[in-house]
Formats: sequence, C-alpha cells, structure tokens
Amino acid sequence: MVEDTRLLHTAANIILLIGMAFILLPLVITAIVATQSYEDFIAQGLSLRIGDHFWQNIKTVFTETTIPRQITNSVIVALLVACGKCVLAFLTAFAIVYFQARYGTLIFAFVLATILMPIDLRVITTYQIAANIMSPINGLMDLSGLNDLIERLGGQRLYFELSLLNSYIGMAAPVVAHGTGTFLFRQYLRTLPKDLARAATLDGAGPIRFMIDIALPLSKAPMAALFVLMFLGGWTQYLWPLVAASTPDMQTAVVGLARLAPNLEEGIPDYPMIMTAALLVSIIPLGVTAFMQRFITYGLTLVEK
Amino acid sequence: MMRGFYPHQWLPLVLALPQILLILLFFYIPVAQAFYWSFFLERPFGGGSIFVGWDNFYRVLMDREFWLSLQRTGFFMLFGSVLAVFLPLILALAADQQIRLSYPARNILVWPKAIAGASIGVVFAFIFNPFLGILAPLNELSPGFWNPRTQANDAWIMLLIAHVWNGIPFNFVILLAGLQSVPQTLLQAAAMDGAGPWRRLFDIHIPMIMPFLFLAFVLEFTESIVGAFGLVDTMTEGGPGGATTLLVYKIYIDGFKAYDLSGAATQTSLLMVFVIVLTLFQFLYLEKKIKYERG
Repeated sequence: MVEDTRLLHTAANIILLIGMAFILLPLVITAIVATQSYEDFIAQGLSLRIGDHFWQNIKTVFTETTIPRQITNSVIVALLVACGKCVLAFLTAFAIVYFQARYGTLIFAFVLATILMPIDLRVITTYQIAANIMSPINGLMDLSGLNDLIERLGGQRLYFELSLLNSYIGMAAPVVAHGTGTFLFRQYLRTLPKDLARAATLDGAGPIRFMIDIALPLSKAPMAALFVLMFLGGWTQYLWPLVAASTPDMQTAVVGLARLAPNLEEGIPDYPMIMTAALLVSIIPLGVTAFMQRFITYGLTLVEK
Repeated sequence: MMRGFYPHQWLPLVLALPQILLILLFFYIPVAQAFYWSFFLERPFGGGSIFVGWDNFYRVLMDREFWLSLQRTGFFMLFGSVLAVFLPLILALAADQQIRLSYPARNILVWPKAIAGASIGVVFAFIFNPFLGILAPLNELSPGFWNPRTQANDAWIMLLIAHVWNGIPFNFVILLAGLQSVPQTLLQAAAMDGAGPWRRLFDIHIPMIMPFLFLAFVLEFTESIVGAFGLVDTMTEGGPGGATTLLVYKIYIDGFKAYDLSGAATQTSLLMVFVIVLTLFQFLYLEKKIKYERG
C-alpha cells in the first residue's frame, strides 16, 4: 500500500484479538472448570485455577452418564447425514448440469426450495411422517378410493406402518432432505469445461461412466468440503434428534448434554462434570473444524459463488 | 444459462430420483400436512380428525400469546441478525489486512461452527449463572444486578451473545471472501488519490461486498428464526415469565408437550408464510435495490 498502515494494522490486530478472545473464552472456561473437583468448585465458585480432577471427571461421565454411548450415536448420525448428502446431492447436481432434459431446471427449483424452510420449522409434521413413513401411501389409497375397493373385495382395508423414530436412519434422513449440497455441486460442476463430456463420448464413455470416472474424481475438493460441513451439521442438530429419539440410548450427544444440564432450581449442580461432558461432546467436531478448516472455508464460499 | 450435454430423457430423472423422493417425503409432505392440519382438529395419538375450517386460525390469531411470541421472534430476528452480521463484518475487515494475526484468526473464528447451539447454550447458561458465573461477584456487590432467570433483559442479552457467538463463522467466512475479491489495484488507486481507510471502506469495500452482505442477511434471518430453539431450550426455557418464548419454542411446547397438534400445525403454517413472504420480499424488492457492479 502507498500509505502508512501502522495505525490501521494496530487497530486490526486489536479487533482480531478481541474477536478471538470472545470465541475462546467460553471454551477455555469450559476446559478449566472441567479440571476442577465438585468440592473445589463449590468452595471457589467460578475460578480460573486449573484443578487435578480432569481424569476423575471423565471417569464420572463415562460411568454415570449415557454420554459415551450418545457420542457414538452422534458419530453414526453425522456420518449418515454427510454420506447421504454427498451421494444424493452429487447425483442430482450431475443430472441437472450434464443433461439437456428441460425438466432439470424444475428439479433444481424443487430441491432449492428446501433451503427456505429448515427442519426445525416443520418439525411437528415431519415427526408424524417419521412415525409412519407409509402414511402418505395410506392417505393416497384412502383418497383415491383404492382402499374402498380393496375393502369391498377383501373385506379389510390395507394399512401400512413403518416407524423411523428411534432409529439412526430416522434421525439422519429428514436432515439430508435439504438442498444446499445440490446447490454446491451444481455451482462447482458448472465451472468444469463442457468439452470433458464431449471428449469422453468420443472415447466411447457413456454418461454414467463419465460421471464415475471423470466428474467424480474432479469433484474431490467440493465433496470433501460438503462432507465436512454436513458432518458438522449432522452433529450439531438439536431439535430434530430431540423429538426423533425418545430413549437416552438413541439420543445424540448434544441432546444428552442438554439433558444433563440442571433444571432451574435444584441446588448446585455438578458443573465440573457437566463441563467435562460439554468438552467430550464437542471435541470431535472441534477437531474436524480446526484441522479441516480449509475445506469449510472452501465449501462456504462455494455456496456463495 | 448453458445447456447440458447428454440428450438422454429419462436417465437424469433416475439419477435425481433418490433425492427427489427423500425431499418429497420429508419436506413437501410435512409442509403440505402442516397447512392441511391447520383446517382440522387433530387428536393426539391418532384419534381421528374433524374438519373445522378456519377455526384453528381464528383460535391462534385471537391468542395474545401467539402475537407476543411472533413479536419476540421478530425482535430476535432484527437484533440477532444485525449483530450476527455486523460484528463478523468488522472482524472480516480486520482479517482482510496484511497482518500476521489474520491467519490464526481465520482458523479460530470458524470454531463455533463445530459447536451446537444447544451445547454452547449449556456453557453460556453456566457462565452467566447469577450465583456461580463470571458476573456473580458483581451480584455480591449489588444484589440483583444480573439475573437472567428473573430479569427479561438479562435473559435476552444472554441469548443474543450466544446467538452471535454461534453465528460468527458463516458470516465471517462469507464476508471475508467478499472482501478478498475486491481488486487490490482498485484500492491502491483510491489510496493514491488520497482516499483514507474510512473513505475506502464506505466507497469501495461496502458497495463491492453488497451481494455478500445481502446473502448473509437472507440466510441469517431464517437462521435466527429457527436456530434460536437450541439456545432458548437450554438457557431460558422460554422464561422468565415467557419473555423469551420465541415462536419456534412455543410451537414445540404446544405440539410436543401440550399435544395441541392442530394449534402447533396452524402456528407452523403461519410461521412458514412469514418466512416465505420475508424471503420473497428480500429477493424481489431488496435485491433490486442493491447495485451489482461486479461482473
């Protein structure tokens, strides 16, 4: 730059320091309280002294709460969300970008509309569907009069029932039904040269072969970015897993952590233990974020383009 | 709009079908059902339903609690999203400078992305606990100075702080990407012409990142309407005295705790209409006002 930037840079440094302190402060407090014993905590209140009770607290969390089991649940649900999203979104985006079919735009609009209304907004009726995913078929059969016909012929109405509540698929599927991934892949695939498909055709490869052998390997970076973002998205879901799983054994870690937290008036809760649980619940996604930060930034900016 | 390459008519439909079915089942049918249920009196545990016309809407719209929680949602949306966009904007402007601190900042400021709203809610509820938290010493000096369990303002401050904390990563990354796409030559030319940092901020940076700011606000509005659930549920449980009962929280309580499915579905429909109207307004009206000067 052509001017003296010292003042500007000092200001920028101060702003960034404040910003990082704001982000880190709750995490640091969580980590420090997690090392203290309940007795010390009661005696001192919130203090920044590092205690020696960390392993003890971890042991308590492992023996007295369902958090470890729930962390496993979270890993499974988050992986299901991430894998489901990557596969489905890639297939759809490929269909939209590489085919001449006019209804591609229609499919795109159909998928994109989901961004407007996140799962938390439609949780009441999504719950009813997950409680019996056959209910649309039952409804259709009743509406179309097919069931009346069956009743007259067979004497009994047909009714199908299949509940996804309290299952990993049930916790992941409604979260996967969302359009960001398709949007991200579409943005990316459109930047690839169109001649690739032509060249592949000249070499005798059909669309499926082209998709698997050329488009897919070229999409490694956005695939990794989407995977990381959706893993985090699946992990941090709260309202949906809260209603979709009713037993502690099936709940996700975030829901389990919130259940550990005390009701408003009940003496002094074991905060060192709760903070240890908070730390354990967040350590996997936090590690993913810190080490795969490149992919997150890439993924988020790809959505913007 | 470029055209696709392959002429196959059915293959693209087959490829997209899994996603279409999933979205149909878990998005369109639930959305349609919310509207459908709004016209029926639904009994919990499948006791059948009766068509009641506009009765549910009449009941909900005459309920003062509904309007109050809608008003709180609007309030949270405005304050929450303004804070959750402008604070990251300031941070992004700082991180856009050529300074060494910019590198760790770009990593650390993204960390909250990994933490669920409900998890940080548990942590902040502890940190702001009036008797055990960091403000407890102030409460000893002047009793009743800070208590989010009894004072609505304190509860709101706590919610907004947690909301901003959780909202920093996305908006920071988006706005920083916007700032970095501003051509350096343009800034250097402006500096040569004697435009100081403030002048460049308002005449170059802000106009150039308008599309990014617009996107941040559009997404943040929806996020603040629905994402607040985890915070409210873990920090205030809608209290004190219902002061933080936002509409998403009320819908959850009505539907899953009070088993008023018709009432919850009706409020869901109204909230969906609110979100759709808001988004359309932003796209059809506001976006035109933003000048896209970038190629």
